[in-house]
This record gives sequence, C-alpha cells and structure tokens, in this order.
Amino acid sequence: MKLLVNNTSIECAEGDLLIEVLLSNGVNVPHFCYHEDLGCDGNCRMCMVEIKGSKRPQIACDTFVKEGMEVSTISDNISEVKRSILELELLNHPVDCAICDQAGECKLQDYYMDYGLYDSKLSTPKTKKGKHIDLGSSVMLDQERCVLCTRCVRFTSDITKTGELGVIGRGDGARIAVAPNRELSNDYAMNVVELCPVGALTSKDFRFKQRVWFLDSTKSICHGCSRGCNIDIDYNQTKYTAEKVHRFRARRNNKINQSFLCDYGRLSYKELNDTFTLEVSNIEDFKKILNDEKKIALVSPSFSCEQLQGVYDFCKDKKISLFSLKYYDDNFGDEWLKTNDMSSNFASIQNLDISTNKEDFLASIADSNIVINFDHKYLKTKYLQDKRVIQFTSSSCEKNYELVYAIANFAHDSGSIINCDGLRQEFYSTKFTDKNPRLLELLEEFR
Amino acid sequence: MITKIVSKNFDIKDSFKIDVALKNGAYSSLDTLFSKKPQELIDTITQSGLRGKGGGGALAGGKWQLASDHKGIKYLVVNADESEPGTFKDRRILSLDPHLLIEGIIATCYAIASHSSYIYVRGEYEEFSDVLQFAIDEAYDRKYLGVDARYRVDIVVHRGAGAYICGEKSALLESLEGNRGHPRLKPHTPSPEFYFSEPTLVNNVETIASVPFIVKNGAESYREYGTEKSPGTLLFAVSGNVNSPGVYEVPFGTGMLEYIEKLGGGVKNGKKLKAVIPGGASTPILPANLIKDVKLDYENLRDIGSALGTGGMIVLDEDASIVKALKNLLRFYHHESCGQCTPCREGTAWSDKILDKFIAKDASRQDLEVLRSVSNSMNGKTICVFAPAASGVIDGFLKHFESEFLECIK
Repeated sequence: MKLLVNNTSIECAEGDLLIEVLLSNGVNVPHFCYHEDLGCDGNCRMCMVEIKGSKRPQIACDTFVKEGMEVSTISDNISEVKRSILELELLNHPVDCAICDQAGECKLQDYYMDYGLYDSKLSTPKTKKGKHIDLGSSVMLDQERCVLCTRCVRFTSDITKTGELGVIGRGDGARIAVAPNRELSNDYAMNVVELCPVGALTSKDFRFKQRVWFLDSTKSICHGCSRGCNIDIDYNQTKYTAEKVHRFRARRNNKINQSFLCDYGRLSYKELNDTFTLEVSNIEDFKKILNDEKKIALVSPSFSCEQLQGVYDFCKDKKISLFSLKYYDDNFGDEWLKTNDMSSNFASIQNLDISTNKEDFLASIADSNIVINFDHKYLKTKYLQDKRVIQFTSSSCEKNYELVYAIANFAHDSGSIINCDGLRQEFYSTKFTDKNPRLLELLEEFR
Repeated sequence: MITKIVSKNFDIKDSFKIDVALKNGAYSSLDTLFSKKPQELIDTITQSGLRGKGGGGALAGGKWQLASDHKGIKYLVVNADESEPGTFKDRRILSLDPHLLIEGIIATCYAIASHSSYIYVRGEYEEFSDVLQFAIDEAYDRKYLGVDARYRVDIVVHRGAGAYICGEKSALLESLEGNRGHPRLKPHTPSPEFYFSEPTLVNNVETIASVPFIVKNGAESYREYGTEKSPGTLLFAVSGNVNSPGVYEVPFGTGMLEYIEKLGGGVKNGKKLKAVIPGGASTPILPANLIKDVKLDYENLRDIGSALGTGGMIVLDEDASIVKALKNLLRFYHHESCGQCTPCREGTAWSDKILDKFIAKDASRQDLEVLRSVSNSMNGKTICVFAPAASGVIDGFLKHFESEFLECIK
C-alpha cells in the first residue's frame, strides 16, 4: 500500500509501525525512547506526527500504518508541538555540553538545532539531581542530563533480564537508579552507554578521552569470539601521539547482534593499541632458515579468510606442515552473543582442511627444529624449548624469538571472516598511516 | 431530593456487619441474579444506561461486554483508589455498606464469567480497608464467597502505596502486577484492560455498588432517576466553604446551586459564592455567575466547559484566593505526576514553580504567558489524562479569574 508523508508517497505494508516506515525512508523523526531493538515505550513524546483525521498529534512509535493514512512531520502545527516537548526535555538539563562526553553525538543537541533554537524561559531554579554516580561495570550516571527515556532500564529488564536499573521518584524527581544494594553488573552492561541518547550514561573507559568529532570511524567485525558481531571502530591520531583506537561501537545487524555487543568484545579494542615495539627481523634471515631446516607452522584461527588462504598456499609451496588450534574457553559463552569458540574464523580453518589435531601437532613439533607461528596467541613455551621460533605477530611480544615480523592487525587490514553460523562478513581497514605491513604483502616478499 | 439507592444503609448502625446487612436487604438480589443468564445481565446493565462513577462516565455495559466477549480466565478489578481531591464517596461505601459492594462484585463476576476479583484500595484508607476485609471474611463464612458459594467468587483486597495515578485503570493494573504505577499506552481498538495478560474489567466502587439495585429492580426502575443520558444517581459530595460538607446521593440532573444550598447548607458564614470546582480537583473551575442554572449531569457540565468528574464539588467563597487555590492544586499535580512521559513530568513541576512567583507577588507578565504555554504543552500530548487535566485546571483558572493573577504581577 501507499502512505502519504508530507505529500510524498511511500510504499509500505498495512500494519507496519509508522516510525519504522518513516525512519527507513529517510524522514526525520526525532525520538528518544523508541529504539529499533527495544521497541516502543511511548514516554518521550518526541516522535509526534500529525495524522489527517486525528484530533490530536499521535506518536509515530505507537501508530500502525493504515490504508489511506496521510501523515505530516513538518507542518507548522507539528513543528510547534515538537519544539514545546523538546523545551520540556531540556528544561532542567544542566546544558554542560562543554564537559559532556556525549557532545557531538547527543540527540538533545541535534534536535535542538533541528527543532529548538529558542531561549530558555525558565525563571525559577532548575531541579537538582545526582551527578557522577558510579553504577558499576564502568558506567557512570548523571541524572540531570537524563531524559528518562528508560532505554537503559528496558535493556536490563527485557534484554539481559538482569533488572539492575529502574526509575525511582515521581514527577520531576523521577530518576534512573540501580536497585538498592546492587550494581550494574552483567556481561552486556556497557550497552546502556550506547543506548543512552544523551550524556546521562557514559563509559568510564571512554569518558574524557576524546571529543567524538575528532574520531574517524570504520566498519568492522569484532574478533573476540566466533559470533562476528558488527562493530564500528572509532579511532584517530592527535598531534604528537600515536594513532589510536578509542572504542568499539555496535553496528546494527539484526541477523547477528542487533545493536548490542558484549563488554568483553567492546573492550577488546585495547589489543589493537598494543603496538609492536621490538625491532623487526631482516627478511633475508627468514629466507635462509626456510631452505634447510625441518619446520612446522601454526596459524591463528582468527586470521581472515584471505590471510588463511595466503598462509595455506605459502606452506603448501614450501612444504611446511600447517596446523591451527582453536581458541576455546568453556566459561566464556552464554545463550546470547558470546560463544565458547573464541576464534573469529575457525570455519575457514575447517574449509581449508587445516589440521587441528593437537596430538598430531605435538608429535610434529617434537620432530621439528623450527616453528613458524602465524600470530597464534597461545603457543605454549614448553613446546618451544630448543626450537628456533619465527614469530609473525600483530601485537607486542615479549619473547625474544629468533626472528620476529610485525604484521598488521585486523583494524589495519581488510578482509572477511566466517562466523559460527556460516555467515561471511567483510571488515575494512582504518585510515591509519603508520601501520605494520599486511601479512599477505610479507609472504609475497618471502617467496 | 436525596435519593437513596447506593446509600440506603449508610445511616444504619453497624451495617458493615453481615447480620445487620442481611436484615436490611443485603444479598437479596442474588436469587434474581442466578435466575438470569450472564448475557441477559449485561444487556440489563446496558439498557439501564449505568455510567462509570469514577469520573470518566463511560457506559458500564460496553465495558462489561468487551470483557465478556473474551473467553478463558478473566478478572474483575474494583477501583477503590479514590484519590481525587474533593472526592470522598467510595470510602462511605467501603466502610458503611461493604456488603453492597460484595453483592455487586458477585453479580458483575457472574455476568462476565469471572471468578476472581481484586479490590484496589487507596493506601491511606487503612481503616476502611480493614472494615471491608472484615465484611469479606464474614461473607466467606456465610458462603456468599469462595468455593462453597452458589457461584464461586474470590475477593482479594490490595492496598495501594499512596499514588494518585494508580486510580488510572491501567496504572492501577501495573501497580497490582507489582510494577511502578505507570499508565499504559492506550489500545488502538476497543478492548478490555489486561491483568497479567488476561482480560480484565475495571470499575469504580460506586458503579459496582449500583449493580444490585439494577439486578433486583430492572433497568427501567434505574432509569426512573436522573436524565435520559445520565440515568440514575450519584453520591455527590460537597466540601470547602460550606456549612455542611458531606456526601449526599441525588439523581443526575439536580440543580448544582440547589444541592449546595439545601444539602451543603449554603456558603459558610453567609458569604457570597465565588466559584465551584464541580467534580474533583481535575475538573475546570466555574465562577458563580456561570452555574446559576447548571444541572448536575455529564452533558450539562461538559457544555459549559467543565466536567462532572467524580461529583465532588469544592466550594470557594468570596474571600478565597484564586491564586492560592491554583497553587494548592498545582502542588498536588507536581507531587502526583508519575514522571513517565515528558510533558507531564516537566510541565506539572514547572507550572507549580511559576505559581510560587505569583504567590510571592513577584511574577512578571511573561510568567503568565509561560504558564499558558506550559499548559498548552501538557494538553493532548501525553499517555494518560493526568497532564491534560492539569492543563484544563490552569486554563479554567486563567480564563475566569485572570484579573487576580494580574494583581500578582509586580
């Protein structure tokens, strides 16, 4: 059916949720409480639209499309409604954007520029509420900046079902708080920071570190486990400091992670800043060793499909027996996003038929003089006694191996990985300039 | 003038005790009740034109039908959260004739095929709730309730925690489910309420207490009282600057001034009448000159820009300060807003704070404009009718008594 929005016809199905139709067709609808993965709550009243034949403005998040419906989001009347509601949202807000981490990605700021642009009419003191409250799990709460959209409350009650957060107090004294004698502590707690449309919930890990408008962003995939959650990598380089990744944000993919990430994955960005500090070995040395010794290779099951293919071809060419061992933690997985298989591309190891048999690997390693480690994280030292080790690594390594080659990590490289459900997903390289060479380029030189 | 349908036993000593109540006709409608089919009863209620007496005035028969149309488990919830300022009628039923309410609950449950009923009593009504529980216990003993009754009905009394908004039916159900008392979004099509996802009928105490009379005497005898569109009687109440504040049952359509003069004993100390808030705090105020010919029914009060509400009239005499009266009401709305949706959460508090400036005679002309715009922001943009009611209150005061506000401008 056709829906008439601001006199333009939009194709949709009867019974679709109006706000989803509008947003997916690029119509601006301001909203705080509605979230595509948390659903409608109807408390913020920002998404009001004018519907022909309705006496009063209606909230788009609780309106279902009907045949013949005519909607306006830009009439003078509805703009005035949005302005007046925004005025109330901002009434007791401290307007401390200068010291607020949300500045630059704050919905209150955006909507004020779109629908507000008035001077405050408040002539009485603002309502005081709690500030810098530590909720636990690295999340800080500023109740004065809050618009009470209850996304965070609904996340803990409906999604994680842990129920740590709630609203206490009534009227203008209503505020978000943790339940008495509890703290916000679950494996997905930091999602509330990202869900918060304003600066009320901030991450201890990120706050006061960077202004968001100085950050570049690249589409990527989390490498923390085999789920393959979609992320954005936020990074930058400021004057006189090294290039740095500052955070991962969940990128919506309703087939995998909706809009969420586990805290482990979210904080795994830190590994990307674990820059290589050792002096890198000479390429010629590698070529010399390669010619005359008995050797095996171990490859990381978190390499991209392209890297794995390169390593596989290289080893085949040089007649090196290749192994891989799964990263596995029995206690890591849960019934939602986290999986016990903590290698991000184990499916490709199986596709290439690379041996993952530990007994075979141990037998082969005993029989070899040289071990080439392609960035496998858990190669134990006890297997490496009296072996000559050639280490390809994307993160710093303390061991003084005979030869060490730095390679680009997944933020510096592009490629694809296959997740636990067999979905192949692309990730892209950040615009970093001083990155380590990509593994495939190195292997090319070694040939 | 006084017409005793619901209040017939109010003057009888110890009428809350079952023996006294039985002597005075309690449970006498049950024989007629069980001789009829449930649908016949719903039709009777629809024909009687019985309207919800909690303030909204919706036709009871329609709500019963919606609940009855659903199959499976059903609940009846009796709204005894009487929190509207100026309203104190339901407590009379709870404490003076609880068996009438129980009889009404049995009839209503039978009509909608429900076996479980909850009475949600306002938290502050502890003593009335105790009387009610005593009566329910006696009704169980005499097998009017419970497994051994002719029709099984169980009644649970639940006391609220003292929030005005829990008188709103969907917030009441949220509260009864153990959640914060937040009103729910309105359904898109006519539907009953839902308690733990099961269809539920929510009616006011007085509505249910009116049912036994209709069951016993038929729809027509109920229609003998009141007006065509507002049939029957209501426990009207009067308070404020009158000589005999109290609850007096009269038919709809009674003259408001006549009620205040004859039953309320007229304005205290022979003062002149200034204004009346006609049906609980949430109905817009009416100045004396507008109410000369007003009849107490839903249509009449709506037509002159107010509402019948709960029928609890608040009388203000010539000495009453309109500004202080509005401040009093706005402080109430500020305190009782549940805080769920934005216009109400911020608007009620803001308007209350602005009134402080008027009280201190420190207001500016702009404050008056801001008050008007806040009122506008609260109207028609919220989940429930709490903020629109507050908005109507402000608009009513400013419309009829603007001069008193202008006097407070420095």
